[in-house]
Amino acid sequence: MRRFFAVCRYEFRMQIRKRSLWLSTAGLAVLIAVAQGDRGPRYLPADADAARVMGSWALLFSMLLPIGFGMVLADRLVRDHRLGAASLLASLPTRPGALVAGKYAGSVAATAVPALLALLVTAAGEFVHRGDPALFPSAVAAFAVVLLPGLAFVAAFALVGPLVLSAPLFRVLFAGYWFWGNLLGPNYLPSLTGTLLTPIGDYPASWLIGERALYAGTPGWLSFLRPEPGGGAALLSVVLLAVLATPPLVFASPLLARRTSS
Amino acid sequence: MDIMISGLRRRFGRVEALRGVDLAVPGGMFGLLGTNGAGKTTLMRVLAGVLPPTSGRVLVGGHDITTRAGRLAVQRRLGYLPQDLGLYPDLTTHEFLDYVGLLKGLDDDAARRRQIGELLDMVGLADVARRRLKGFSGGMRRRVGIAQALLGDPALIVVDEPTAGLDPEERIRFRTLLAQIAGHRTVLLSTHIVEDVAQTCQEAAVMASGRVVFTGPVTGIIDRAQGATWEVVTQGPPPSTGVVVSAVGRPGGTHYRVVSPTKPDPAAVPVQPSLEEGYVALMREAVPS
Repeated sequence: MRRFFAVCRYEFRMQIRKRSLWLSTAGLAVLIAVAQGDRGPRYLPADADAARVMGSWALLFSMLLPIGFGMVLADRLVRDHRLGAASLLASLPTRPGALVAGKYAGSVAATAVPALLALLVTAAGEFVHRGDPALFPSAVAAFAVVLLPGLAFVAAFALVGPLVLSAPLFRVLFAGYWFWGNLLGPNYLPSLTGTLLTPIGDYPASWLIGERALYAGTPGWLSFLRPEPGGGAALLSVVLLAVLATPPLVFASPLLARRTSS
Repeated sequence: MDIMISGLRRRFGRVEALRGVDLAVPGGMFGLLGTNGAGKTTLMRVLAGVLPPTSGRVLVGGHDITTRAGRLAVQRRLGYLPQDLGLYPDLTTHEFLDYVGLLKGLDDDAARRRQIGELLDMVGLADVARRRLKGFSGGMRRRVGIAQALLGDPALIVVDEPTAGLDPEERIRFRTLLAQIAGHRTVLLSTHIVEDVAQTCQEAAVMASGRVVFTGPVTGIIDRAQGATWEVVTQGPPPSTGVVVSAVGRPGGTHYRVVSPTKPDPAAVPVQPSLEEGYVALMREAVPS
């Protein structure tokens, strides 16, 4: 476990120092705040409860921030080869599984920090406007149930995808998937939007807000994945995302080993 | 830590990089010479447990590295400096060494930090311990590389082309450092720079086309050119037979040193060969042109 924590700690440290991580978060957060339209949380009634306000903000952030994080994370496993550190890592008495798990946990933690910070800054802005101190714990709760599961899901695919595809190709496909599978209305084309498998946190946000946040449960393709929003559906969505994120991480070690020994 | 290699083969698709390597490496500093593409790096990577062999047997300190348990046992006592080691630009020197130390299993924080401090002093990088690795020169990067290899006081150190691309001053500094650390350890130095082996090793092996073509004392390589090394002084063109190893222009004409089994010029006089000339003679035998 010590080696897992060592990898996690240093992966976190390396990523948190990346200017691109902060710039992409700040840029997307500002874009969201400015261009949210009159259905956005800025325009919720003054007496709206804190969970609703911050749940709406978290969903809004969750629509775009993971795209930036996916782009940033897409080189984290392959970069050991690019930098020339892969042979050294392979010669150390650390199991590849600990290396992959540590890099994954460090990556998720490193992207979680700016995302949480963005949400807390937003909570501070809303606090000035609404004066409700419950906005801050609500921001943390909304981050934990809406943003974080999506980040963890995206991180798994962003780390491992470029072991199979090239990183630039992965980024293009990932951006395409993101808009098709999360933001494209299910009434236009068959899409994963509004299902339990959408990592933007539509179901958890709907549960927090107390009504359909975006498309959760809207009738469409794969109707068995579109239950009515609620606490159980939100939990099921989080669990399904965690389960789906596992196979890429399991396959990462053999993929890395094959790359190192070729 | 003795190394015994027998019948080692390693294939990459249709290319066979190692073609039945048999080699015994005793303790102390051991040189591995060979041209680019001879299979040295592949052999180093196999010894470091980075590459599994296609077939053959490799025992390091009695551990069979073709088994998972054996490989881990060797890696716990190994210091490895790969060719073209990349460093994480976002980390400082101290952080990088701390990271590698933790992955080597140096769990005692105080002892690890103390050792990192000592190694940074040893390689002359104590002043830049808190500086990020981004922007380090080639020589500084190699010194960070050797410091990480020495973490945990390994019994076996494998260094692959550590002086390639360094300026002469850095090369001499690095060679001296390697000789200092050899002591009670086994240091396997892979290089295509003959001078590095001449200055640091008593025992060496030479590889060509995936095979070991010589193993023994370094003087044995020199012996390969005994009676086959000549000096020719001429104002005309260089001798057409043999391999011209050096040419020095002087007022009376150009002094050529030539390795040739026969007298390359009527004016040629036999001279005492150097290691480089022995190596050239050996390679001519191993890979006839």
